[in-house]
Amino acid sequence: MSTPIATLLDDETVSAVAAEVWSALVGADEVLVPGRGPVAEGRSAWVGVEGPWSGLVVLTCSTTATDDLTRAVLQLAPTEELEADDVDDVLRELANILGGNVKSLLPGPSTLGLPQTGTPPHPGSDVRPVGATWRGHPLTITVQGATEAPAQHPTTEVTS
Amino acid sequence: MKILVVDDSRVMRQIVIRTLRQAGWDDVDVVEAVDGADALVKIAQESPDLVLSDWNMPEMTGIDCLRELRAHGSAVPFGFVTSEGSPEMRETAAEAGALFLIAKPFTADTFRDQLGAVLA
Repeated sequence: MSTPIATLLDDETVSAVAAEVWSALVGADEVLVPGRGPVAEGRSAWVGVEGPWSGLVVLTCSTTATDDLTRAVLQLAPTEELEADDVDDVLRELANILGGNVKSLLPGPSTLGLPQTGTPPHPGSDVRPVGATWRGHPLTITVQGATEAPAQHPTTEVTS
Repeated sequence: MKILVVDDSRVMRQIVIRTLRQAGWDDVDVVEAVDGADALVKIAQESPDLVLSDWNMPEMTGIDCLRELRAHGSAVPFGFVTSEGSPEMRETAAEAGALFLIAKPFTADTFRDQLGAVLA
Protein backbone atom coordinates (compact mmCIF):
# COMPACT_ATOMS: atom_id res chain seq x y z
CA MET A 1 0.00 0.00 0.00
CA SER A 2 1.31 3.45 -0.88
CA THR A 3 1.76 6.27 1.59
CA PRO A 4 -1.63 7.76 2.59
CA ILE A 5 -2.43 10.99 0.81
CA ALA A 6 -3.03 12.69 4.17
CA THR A 7 0.67 12.41 4.94
CA LEU A 8 1.74 13.60 1.45
CA LEU A 9 -0.47 16.67 1.04
CA ASP A 10 -2.19 19.11 3.36
CA ASP A 11 -5.30 21.18 2.67
CA GLU A 12 -3.33 24.42 2.38
CA THR A 13 -1.15 23.02 -0.40
CA VAL A 14 -4.13 21.77 -2.40
CA SER A 15 -5.88 25.12 -1.90
CA ALA A 16 -2.77 27.00 -3.06
CA VAL A 17 -2.52 24.87 -6.21
CA ALA A 18 -6.21 25.42 -6.94
CA ALA A 19 -5.94 29.17 -6.40
CA GLU A 20 -3.09 29.40 -8.90
CA VAL A 21 -5.01 27.36 -11.49
CA TRP A 22 -8.11 29.51 -10.96
CA SER A 23 -6.20 32.74 -11.34
CA ALA A 24 -4.55 31.65 -14.59
CA LEU A 25 -7.48 29.90 -16.23
CA VAL A 26 -10.66 31.39 -14.84
CA GLY A 27 -9.40 34.93 -14.48
CA ALA A 28 -6.67 36.95 -12.83
CA ASP A 29 -9.21 38.59 -10.52
CA GLU A 30 -11.06 35.41 -9.66
CA VAL A 31 -10.68 34.43 -6.04
CA LEU A 32 -11.01 30.88 -4.83
CA VAL A 33 -11.76 31.03 -1.13
CA PRO A 34 -10.64 27.98 0.89
CA GLY A 35 -13.31 26.24 2.94
CA ARG A 36 -16.98 25.24 2.58
CA GLY A 37 -18.06 22.19 0.63
CA PRO A 38 -18.54 19.35 0.16
CA VAL A 39 -20.77 19.56 -2.90
CA ALA A 40 -23.64 17.14 -2.39
CA GLU A 41 -24.88 17.12 -5.99
CA GLY A 42 -22.91 18.32 -8.93
CA ARG A 43 -20.77 17.61 -11.93
CA SER A 44 -17.35 16.00 -11.57
CA ALA A 45 -14.24 15.69 -13.66
CA TRP A 46 -11.14 13.79 -12.67
CA VAL A 47 -7.76 12.61 -13.78
CA GLY A 48 -5.76 9.60 -12.64
CA VAL A 49 -2.22 9.53 -11.29
CA GLU A 50 -0.19 6.30 -11.55
CA GLY A 51 3.06 5.95 -9.65
CA PRO A 52 4.37 5.38 -6.12
CA TRP A 53 1.08 7.00 -5.10
CA SER A 54 -1.83 6.08 -7.36
CA GLY A 55 -5.26 7.61 -7.31
CA LEU A 56 -7.47 10.36 -8.65
CA VAL A 57 -7.75 14.12 -8.45
CA VAL A 58 -11.45 14.95 -8.68
CA LEU A 59 -13.07 18.37 -9.13
CA THR A 60 -16.76 18.55 -8.25
CA CYS A 61 -18.90 21.65 -8.80
CA SER A 62 -22.59 22.43 -8.66
CA THR A 63 -24.36 22.78 -12.01
CA THR A 64 -24.62 26.54 -11.66
CA ALA A 65 -20.93 26.72 -10.86
CA THR A 66 -19.98 24.75 -13.98
CA ASP A 67 -22.05 27.09 -16.16
CA ASP A 68 -20.45 30.16 -14.61
CA LEU A 69 -17.02 28.57 -14.89
CA THR A 70 -17.52 27.90 -18.58
CA ARG A 71 -18.56 31.50 -19.22
CA ALA A 72 -15.58 32.78 -17.26
CA VAL A 73 -12.98 30.52 -18.89
CA LEU A 74 -14.31 31.11 -22.42
CA GLN A 75 -15.00 34.79 -21.69
CA LEU A 76 -18.60 34.48 -22.85
CA ALA A 77 -21.30 37.07 -22.23
CA PRO A 78 -24.05 36.11 -19.74
CA THR A 79 -26.55 35.94 -22.61
CA GLU A 80 -24.51 33.61 -24.82
CA GLU A 81 -25.67 30.02 -25.14
CA LEU A 82 -23.50 27.36 -23.56
CA GLU A 83 -22.70 24.13 -25.33
CA ALA A 84 -22.72 21.02 -23.16
CA ASP A 85 -19.44 19.87 -24.72
CA ASP A 86 -17.77 23.12 -23.67
CA VAL A 87 -19.03 22.80 -20.09
CA ASP A 88 -17.54 19.32 -19.79
CA ASP A 89 -14.38 20.39 -21.62
CA VAL A 90 -13.78 23.25 -19.17
CA LEU A 91 -14.34 20.97 -16.19
CA ARG A 92 -12.00 18.33 -17.62
CA GLU A 93 -9.26 20.86 -18.30
CA LEU A 94 -9.50 22.30 -14.80
CA ALA A 95 -9.27 18.77 -13.34
CA ASN A 96 -6.42 17.96 -15.72
CA ILE A 97 -4.34 20.96 -14.67
CA LEU A 98 -5.17 20.48 -11.00
CA GLY A 99 -4.12 16.85 -11.37
CA GLY A 100 -0.89 17.74 -13.13
CA ASN A 101 0.06 20.20 -10.44
CA VAL A 102 -0.91 17.87 -7.59
CA LYS A 103 1.08 15.08 -9.27
CA SER A 104 4.16 17.28 -9.26
CA LEU A 105 3.93 17.38 -5.44
CA LEU A 106 3.71 13.61 -5.04
CA PRO A 107 6.51 11.02 -5.12
CA GLY A 108 7.57 10.14 -8.63
CA PRO A 109 8.06 9.07 -11.25
CA SER A 110 4.39 8.92 -12.09
CA THR A 111 2.10 9.41 -15.05
CA LEU A 112 -1.10 11.35 -15.55
CA GLY A 113 -4.11 9.87 -17.34
CA LEU A 114 -6.63 11.56 -19.58
CA PRO A 115 -9.33 13.62 -17.86
CA GLN A 116 -12.88 12.31 -17.69
CA THR A 117 -16.28 13.57 -16.63
CA GLY A 118 -19.23 11.76 -15.12
CA THR A 119 -19.56 9.88 -11.85
CA PRO A 120 -16.14 9.34 -10.31
CA PRO A 121 -15.18 6.09 -8.60
CA HIS A 122 -16.18 6.11 -4.95
CA PRO A 123 -13.25 6.99 -2.72
CA GLY A 124 -11.88 4.52 -0.22
CA SER A 125 -10.36 5.44 3.11
CA ASP A 126 -7.33 7.19 1.57
CA VAL A 127 -9.00 10.48 0.69
CA ARG A 128 -8.40 14.19 1.17
CA PRO A 129 -11.39 16.38 0.22
CA VAL A 130 -10.65 20.10 0.12
CA GLY A 131 -13.57 22.49 -0.03
CA ALA A 132 -13.53 25.92 -1.62
CA THR A 133 -15.91 28.64 -2.70
CA TRP A 134 -15.89 30.57 -5.97
CA ARG A 135 -18.37 33.40 -6.57
CA GLY A 136 -20.46 31.87 -3.78
CA HIS A 137 -20.52 28.43 -5.38
CA PRO A 138 -19.17 25.55 -3.28
CA LEU A 139 -16.78 23.17 -4.97
CA THR A 140 -14.61 20.30 -3.86
CA ILE A 141 -11.20 19.11 -4.92
CA THR A 142 -10.76 15.51 -3.78
CA VAL A 143 -7.45 13.70 -3.88
CA GLN A 144 -8.29 10.04 -3.38
CA GLY A 145 -6.10 6.95 -3.37
CA ALA A 146 -6.84 4.08 -5.71
CA THR A 147 -9.12 1.50 -4.15
CA GLU A 148 -8.08 -2.16 -3.99
CA ALA A 149 -10.67 -3.11 -6.60
CA PRO A 150 -10.90 -0.23 -9.08
CA ALA A 151 -14.48 0.75 -9.81
CA GLN A 152 -15.79 0.47 -13.33
CA HIS A 153 -16.59 3.71 -15.11
CA PRO A 154 -19.88 3.05 -16.90
CA THR A 155 -20.84 6.70 -17.14
CA THR A 156 -17.49 8.23 -17.99
CA GLU A 157 -16.68 10.09 -21.14
CA VAL A 158 -13.06 10.13 -22.12
CA THR A 159 -11.93 13.45 -23.47
CA SER A 160 -11.90 13.62 -27.24
CA MET B 1 3.99 33.41 -39.52
CA LYS B 2 1.91 30.34 -38.81
CA ILE B 3 1.48 28.41 -35.53
CA LEU B 4 -0.09 24.97 -35.14
CA VAL B 5 -1.87 24.50 -31.80
CA VAL B 6 -2.37 20.84 -30.89
CA ASP B 7 -4.67 19.83 -28.03
CA ASP B 8 -7.58 17.41 -27.70
CA SER B 9 -9.43 20.03 -25.66
CA ARG B 10 -11.13 22.70 -27.78
CA VAL B 11 -11.29 24.91 -24.72
CA MET B 12 -7.54 24.63 -24.17
CA ARG B 13 -6.83 25.39 -27.83
CA GLN B 14 -8.90 28.55 -27.44
CA ILE B 15 -7.01 29.50 -24.28
CA VAL B 16 -3.63 28.92 -25.94
CA ILE B 17 -4.67 31.02 -28.95
CA ARG B 18 -6.03 33.76 -26.68
CA THR B 19 -2.79 33.77 -24.71
CA LEU B 20 -0.77 34.05 -27.92
CA ARG B 21 -2.80 37.16 -28.82
CA GLN B 22 -2.38 38.58 -25.31
CA ALA B 23 1.37 37.97 -25.53
CA GLY B 24 1.52 40.17 -28.61
CA TRP B 25 1.32 37.70 -31.48
CA ASP B 26 -2.07 38.90 -32.65
CA ASP B 27 -1.28 38.75 -36.35
CA VAL B 28 -0.08 35.15 -36.63
CA ASP B 29 -2.08 32.57 -38.54
CA VAL B 30 -3.23 29.77 -36.27
CA VAL B 31 -4.04 26.23 -37.35
CA GLU B 32 -5.49 23.68 -34.94
CA ALA B 33 -5.07 19.92 -34.55
CA VAL B 34 -6.88 17.61 -32.13
CA ASP B 35 -4.10 15.09 -31.41
CA GLY B 36 -0.64 14.02 -32.51
CA ALA B 37 -1.86 12.10 -35.55
CA ASP B 38 -3.88 15.09 -36.75
CA ALA B 39 -0.84 17.29 -36.11
CA LEU B 40 1.31 15.20 -38.46
CA VAL B 41 -1.25 15.76 -41.21
CA LYS B 42 -1.55 19.50 -40.52
CA ILE B 43 2.23 19.96 -40.39
CA ALA B 44 2.56 18.33 -43.82
CA GLN B 45 -0.27 20.45 -45.21
CA GLU B 46 0.42 23.80 -43.56
CA SER B 47 4.20 23.94 -42.91
CA PRO B 48 3.83 25.90 -39.64
CA ASP B 49 6.68 27.99 -38.23
CA LEU B 50 6.03 26.60 -34.73
CA VAL B 51 4.06 23.75 -33.16
CA LEU B 52 2.59 24.21 -29.67
CA SER B 53 1.43 20.81 -28.47
CA ASP B 54 -0.21 19.20 -25.48
CA TRP B 55 1.49 16.05 -24.18
CA ASN B 56 -1.33 13.67 -23.15
CA MET B 57 -3.77 13.12 -26.00
CA PRO B 58 -5.75 10.19 -27.34
CA GLU B 59 -4.67 8.52 -30.62
CA MET B 60 -1.14 9.93 -30.54
CA THR B 61 0.59 11.79 -27.73
CA GLY B 62 2.58 14.95 -28.27
CA ILE B 63 5.90 13.25 -27.53
CA ASP B 64 5.17 10.46 -30.02
CA CYS B 65 4.26 13.08 -32.59
CA LEU B 66 7.55 14.90 -32.04
CA ARG B 67 9.57 11.68 -32.27
CA GLU B 68 7.77 10.76 -35.49
CA LEU B 69 8.58 14.16 -36.96
CA ARG B 70 12.26 13.98 -36.08
CA ALA B 71 12.51 10.36 -37.27
CA HIS B 72 11.34 11.53 -40.68
CA GLY B 73 13.71 14.46 -40.83
CA SER B 74 11.35 17.28 -39.90
CA ALA B 75 13.01 20.10 -37.99
CA VAL B 76 9.83 22.12 -37.39
CA PRO B 77 10.22 24.11 -34.13
CA PHE B 78 8.19 22.27 -31.49
CA GLY B 79 7.24 23.18 -27.93
CA PHE B 80 4.97 21.61 -25.34
CA VAL B 81 2.11 23.28 -23.47
CA THR B 82 1.04 20.68 -20.99
CA SER B 83 -0.57 20.17 -17.61
CA GLU B 84 2.58 18.91 -15.91
CA GLY B 85 6.22 19.82 -16.08
CA SER B 86 8.24 17.33 -14.06
CA PRO B 87 12.03 17.27 -14.52
CA GLU B 88 11.68 13.84 -16.16
CA MET B 89 9.21 15.19 -18.72
CA ARG B 90 11.36 18.22 -19.46
CA GLU B 91 14.35 15.95 -20.02
CA THR B 92 12.35 13.62 -22.25
CA ALA B 93 11.01 16.57 -24.24
CA ALA B 94 14.47 18.07 -24.72
CA GLU B 95 15.98 14.73 -25.76
CA ALA B 96 13.25 14.33 -28.38
CA GLY B 97 14.02 17.78 -29.78
CA ALA B 98 11.51 20.09 -28.12
CA LEU B 99 12.55 23.72 -27.69
CA PHE B 100 10.63 24.27 -24.46
CA LEU B 101 7.93 22.92 -22.16
CA ILE B 102 5.35 25.31 -20.74
CA ALA B 103 3.43 23.86 -17.80
CA LYS B 104 -0.21 24.83 -17.30
CA PRO B 105 -1.36 27.10 -15.81
CA PHE B 106 0.52 29.71 -17.83
CA THR B 107 0.31 33.42 -18.48
CA ALA B 108 1.02 35.70 -21.42
CA ASP B 109 4.37 36.49 -19.77
CA THR B 110 5.27 32.79 -19.84
CA PHE B 111 4.52 32.70 -23.56
CA ARG B 112 6.60 35.82 -24.22
CA ASP B 113 9.54 34.34 -22.30
CA GLN B 114 9.47 30.97 -24.04
CA LEU B 115 8.32 31.86 -27.54
CA GLY B 116 10.11 35.17 -27.95
CA ALA B 117 13.36 33.76 -29.27
CA VAL B 118 11.60 31.25 -31.51
CA LEU B 119 9.27 33.76 -33.14
CA ALA B 120 11.71 36.68 -33.31
